[in-house]
Amino acid sequence: MKQFMVICNIEFRLFTREFFGFFFTLVFPILMLLLFGGIYGDEPIYHGADAKIMDISVPAYSVMIIGVTGLMSLPLTLSNCIEKKIYKRFDATPAGKKSIICAQVFVNLIMTFIGISILIITGKILYHIQIKGTFLFISIGLLFSTAAMFSIGFLFTAVGRDLKSTNLLCYLCYFIMLFLSGATIPDMLFTNTIKKISNLLPMTHAVDLMQGVFAGENLLQHGTELFILGASTIICTAAGAILYRKKDWT
Amino acid sequence: MSQVIVQVENLNLSYKDLHAVQNVSFYVKPGEILAIIGQNGSGKTSTVECVEGLRKPDCGLIQVFKKNPWLHRREVYKEMGIQLQEVEYPSKIKVEEQCRLFASFYKRPANWNLLLTQLGLNEKRKHPIHKLSGGEKQRLSILLSLIGRPKLLVLDELTTGLDPEVRQNMWISFENIKKSGVAIIMVSHYLDEVEALADKILYLEKGKQQFFGTQQEFRKYVKGIVPQDEWEENVSLEKLYLMIAPKTTGLTMEGIL
Repeated sequence: MKQFMVICNIEFRLFTREFFGFFFTLVFPILMLLLFGGIYGDEPIYHGADAKIMDISVPAYSVMIIGVTGLMSLPLTLSNCIEKKIYKRFDATPAGKKSIICAQVFVNLIMTFIGISILIITGKILYHIQIKGTFLFISIGLLFSTAAMFSIGFLFTAVGRDLKSTNLLCYLCYFIMLFLSGATIPDMLFTNTIKKISNLLPMTHAVDLMQGVFAGENLLQHGTELFILGASTIICTAAGAILYRKKDWT
Repeated sequence: MSQVIVQVENLNLSYKDLHAVQNVSFYVKPGEILAIIGQNGSGKTSTVECVEGLRKPDCGLIQVFKKNPWLHRREVYKEMGIQLQEVEYPSKIKVEEQCRLFASFYKRPANWNLLLTQLGLNEKRKHPIHKLSGGEKQRLSILLSLIGRPKLLVLDELTTGLDPEVRQNMWISFENIKKSGVAIIMVSHYLDEVEALADKILYLEKGKQQFFGTQQEFRKYVKGIVPQDEWEENVSLEKLYLMIAPKTTGLTMEGIL
């Protein structure tokens, strides 16, 4: 356990030194919140609605944070370590590469939750956002969304032949999902065609699920989202694990 | 053979069509230094990577501390220090962080602060590793191989990139480490280093074992295979090796111009 804590401590420091991960996990979502908060302020979703635009923006930005760590930061870290044979050196120690990979996943998870917490606190303080959902339902929503995004990222590192191709996969997937899932641009602005494409993306279902549980809806109302995110997690993890066995770690 | 730390018998390893290591056998005892020599691509690194448990051999017996290193890697690494030929570290990690990280892998790690000073890296402890010079990285790599107080050290190109003075200091250090009972397997292209340090030599050529034995025996071996008129007594190990190593033409002006 002590060993794991030392590894996590160092991985945490490394995370904060990487501009991309740090900025897009902790700073960018707040900037988005401030930008759209400045535009919409206390405006309701539609005339007469109880919920404000900012109430649905915070859970959407939360998914954006999960996307940064799950689809960008973690897979690019893993892929970089494989390509540069960093894991090979760790594999030649009693700790092994698995301890390092576990710590990298753990640190990315923690940073995701820190990013979301900062976002919620800022939303609460500046825009008095309403969170009607229970802690349990929000946690389950977070768990399913995070598991799905992280497992997709894991699959990308397994599919990518090298850092370049993994990079391409991650960037393409992240930005497509970011703009078409409703995480940044509200899906009510989408045309029907874009909505159809949007429904194919796992991140869209994560956004719907998170917005639902934040608004106090029952999890049973989001069976489809839970199923899609759960299935994505299982399929991507299994496929990634199979492909990882075939990877050249030496 | 009761005291043998590493025992290798009929080791074979292939990469697709390339038979990289063929029927290689050797052993190493505590307090012994074995040097593996041979040209580039002769199978030296492949051989040590099998001993390190990083590659699975096609066939043959490998025992390190009486265990199969491929199957019992984690246990073997508790007593084995490794310096890889090529190594990269996480980008932006600092020297002291890397040391602290490696120290956390062992129950009774060496005093890495002292090692940093002894290896002339103390002033660089707060520096990111990627900003170190090649020689400094090499010294760090040696430090990390020593951090677990190993009983067996496997050093792939120990002093590559080090300046002459540091190389000489390394020789003295590894002589002392050997005297404390640590067995060392080193891969080297520097024959002066091998002559100064090695008790035994394993000579490989195109993956095949040409010789295994002491330096004295290596002289006899070379004497036995070179033509009489080419033989010279009392020459350095490097000259001996050059008598039998496969010849390469080198660059000619014709090829350049």
